[in-house]
Amino acid sequence: MAALQTDVLVIGGGSTGAGVARDAAMRGLGTVLVERRDLADGTTGRFHGLLHSGGRYVVKDPPAARECVPENAILRRIAADCIEDTGGLFVTTPPDDPAYAEQFLAGCRATGVPVEELPVGEALQREPRLNPRISRAFLVPDAAIDPWKTVWACARSAQAYGARILTYHRVVDLVRSGDRVVGARLANDLTGEEVGVEAAVVVNASGAWAGQIARMAGCDVEIQPGKGIMIAMNHRLVQTVINRCKMPADGDILVPIRTVSVIGTTDVRVPDPDEAPVTQGEVEQMLDEGEVLVPGFRRARALRVWAGVRPLFQETKPGLVSDTRDVSRSHTLLDHARRDGVEGLLTITGGKTTTFRLMAEVTVDAVCEHLGVKRPCRTHEESLPGSQDGGHYWLGARLASREPVPRSEQIVCECELITRRKLEEAIDRRRTVNLDDIRRTLRLGMGPCQGGFCIYRATGILHARHGVDAETANGSLLSFLQERWKGVHPILYGDQLRQAHLDDWIFQGVLNVRELAR
Amino acid sequence: MTYDAVVVGIGVAGLTAALRLAEHGRRVLVVAKGVGSTHLAPGRLDILGYAAGGQRIERPAAALGAFLAERPDHPYARVGARTLSESAEWFRARLGYVGSADENFLLPTALGAVKPTAVVPPSAVGGDLRTGGRFLIVGLQGLKDFFPALCAANLQNAAPVRARAVELHPPLGGEHDVNGLGFAGRFEDEPFREAVVRELRITFAPGERVGFPAVLGLREAEGVWRELEERVRTRVFEIPTLPPSVPGIRMFESLRSALRAAGARIVVGDAVVRARTSGRRVEAVVAEAAGRTVEYSGESFVLATGGFASGGLELGSDGAARETVLGLPIAGLPPHGERFSPEYLGVQPFARAGLAVDERLRPLGEDGNVAYENLYAAGATLGGAEPWREASGEGISVATGFAAAEAIVQSTAR
Repeated sequence: MAALQTDVLVIGGGSTGAGVARDAAMRGLGTVLVERRDLADGTTGRFHGLLHSGGRYVVKDPPAARECVPENAILRRIAADCIEDTGGLFVTTPPDDPAYAEQFLAGCRATGVPVEELPVGEALQREPRLNPRISRAFLVPDAAIDPWKTVWACARSAQAYGARILTYHRVVDLVRSGDRVVGARLANDLTGEEVGVEAAVVVNASGAWAGQIARMAGCDVEIQPGKGIMIAMNHRLVQTVINRCKMPADGDILVPIRTVSVIGTTDVRVPDPDEAPVTQGEVEQMLDEGEVLVPGFRRARALRVWAGVRPLFQETKPGLVSDTRDVSRSHTLLDHARRDGVEGLLTITGGKTTTFRLMAEVTVDAVCEHLGVKRPCRTHEESLPGSQDGGHYWLGARLASREPVPRSEQIVCECELITRRKLEEAIDRRRTVNLDDIRRTLRLGMGPCQGGFCIYRATGILHARHGVDAETANGSLLSFLQERWKGVHPILYGDQLRQAHLDDWIFQGVLNVRELAR
Repeated sequence: MTYDAVVVGIGVAGLTAALRLAEHGRRVLVVAKGVGSTHLAPGRLDILGYAAGGQRIERPAAALGAFLAERPDHPYARVGARTLSESAEWFRARLGYVGSADENFLLPTALGAVKPTAVVPPSAVGGDLRTGGRFLIVGLQGLKDFFPALCAANLQNAAPVRARAVELHPPLGGEHDVNGLGFAGRFEDEPFREAVVRELRITFAPGERVGFPAVLGLREAEGVWRELEERVRTRVFEIPTLPPSVPGIRMFESLRSALRAAGARIVVGDAVVRARTSGRRVEAVVAEAAGRTVEYSGESFVLATGGFASGGLELGSDGAARETVLGLPIAGLPPHGERFSPEYLGVQPFARAGLAVDERLRPLGEDGNVAYENLYAAGATLGGAEPWREASGEGISVATGFAAAEAIVQSTAR
């Protein structure tokens, strides 16, 4: 069994875990991050991509809004290339209580969320597809953030500071010595190899799965997984994040991100974070709410639906609440030494991607306290790799980078303008045979055809790389097709049903993949 | 003017129905929104490749009885075994193809999976895997829609053959991203063919059959293929790959020329959006062309508008489905929320949704009776089949297009 020794072991490769790993490594701590699948494969990679201005929380949860304001500004600076500065609108649509708008304005002023009321005509000029019957519109600094790019940038930064990032490494058990957690046993799910890690402090940043990890140390952490579904619609129906100006509810946000627009979301308690199926009722609800924001929404093509699972923490030890919980209502840091008498283990859960950096800072402050060192956080000062020049991502970036190049590189994915060279580089860099990993890295197959043309090509290119055999390539293709089906079948109607049939034509008719699945 | 028959749609079903009617001397109009599935599919006739339980079928005609016992609502049950075989033979002879409903070839796909197919162009036959042998799969640098190494590796696992791959470097004049149609055009140039043959001879081992992606010429395809066989002195065959489908376009062009030669009128670019009816008869179909509306009247009408893939049928976000020209009811529609199985390659209940028809292929209305006495349906518009699982798509189109024409000829005998 391979063995590693480190100061901090971070469990979970979402935005929180990656943020903790980066922060710890930047403070000079030996750091290992483990993730059971790919980075940002869990909740982080399954949200709508909204970088909150705080506006969503100004009435219902003012402390959360106050946290968003500075973090939004910091991420715009340090993760510029991961963010598209779309701006956000809060609009009062006919079914919304008009009185909420005044509460909203007062809330923005009280919490410091920058806000400007736009005349309705100006808002409609900016967003012509918006419901023309809106009565008020407010502009806030919402933005779209690419979760995969952000998490990978954090991971690369952490690596540059000496951290080790182990993906597809599952925690089999936490190792205890007396009343202290001293490390973990891991299984590499790609090779079957077992890895042992000794760590001075273990940070449980596994989000909705935090209860499962804490239980390995004998600690009872009650996480209620809250499922939310999102649907990616073809094209950018809007260019600005659109929020309903009302108390937060289901299906009230539409986020333009990259080549699509994402509507979300719902909130349904589920018993198991790994079982979050999309129901027809939820799809209907999203389409109905979308129709309120953008009339004709139901006639647009829905590309993919998915569910994310929020980690909702409920303290089950009432006497301990005051001294084990961080004061913020938006995230929770549990010190299991004080809470459960188990040394060497911290759990950070709850929160949102917008505040992941702050959550990491709070967590690593506590880690330093445990280790008896005093080193200040610097994550808000240093830009992430790729974001040093401070320019935001913009929709035309890929086309612009391609246009000066002569027609010498094959375009493998026409929807997302991915060249063969870019695909080969990603396969090599990621050292992966999983086309779904490549999808998240390059957005391969995220466009209107959902991999109809590019995935056959990607399979052929994958097979030609460094000894990948046909069985592996076939398996990757079949699992991509199955994953895609999971994300499209509840939303197949209209033109996207036709698109799905074209894809069937290719994969079942022309290529007969069914024979490879036998 | 009033046509004897108006065929809506120019996929395989529409082309078949129209050409059969024209062969019977009827004045035929084909009106279509655009070209259809022919430009996507491999240009071959899949009749029945898999049984209801998923087992591969070697002899479609012989397997039909058992298949229909489990699928009584299948379009093949409407047309019957005899018409199925006759239509396949007619299609073969019309296109100069090879094969019959009696037996399936086992041919390689571009992934190297095997595919049972009944009637194919001569340039496909050399790929028949049933007899074993040694294969050389040829890729063309610059064509991103064919991966010879993956194809060869999978073929060795799928069939008792030996297969290896080679990638040739044909002269593309600085281009690096040429699609199948672009290659088809280049293969019609002699210097290009010469360069390909010269490079192929270096690597070719005697006794190997040589498989190319199906891009060996468009208008002069037969000549290109025969010349390659003669110059390399072995069996050369084509493997279909991603759309646009070169062999599919060849088939389309061939049937369309035949249709023109038989005197039919063809209008492509008019989308038929509704019909004018009188009692239980369709009087005319109404099409939207560029900026105007046109009526085409006829004695009989064939709906060959395709299924959900082609726009002949439509499913709304609310789960309601309809036939798009006359609003005919859709049979076999699973309840909203249960339309699709979560397993991509599992049984998909929705696949069998489509028009229900009587024995003469006339669609049924809400009341279960024939909706219009002079309206017939053919091809993917019909329900009751799972074309992907069965490998039956073109077979259904040809058989029902053929049978719809026969029904019209009989009911309007002169």
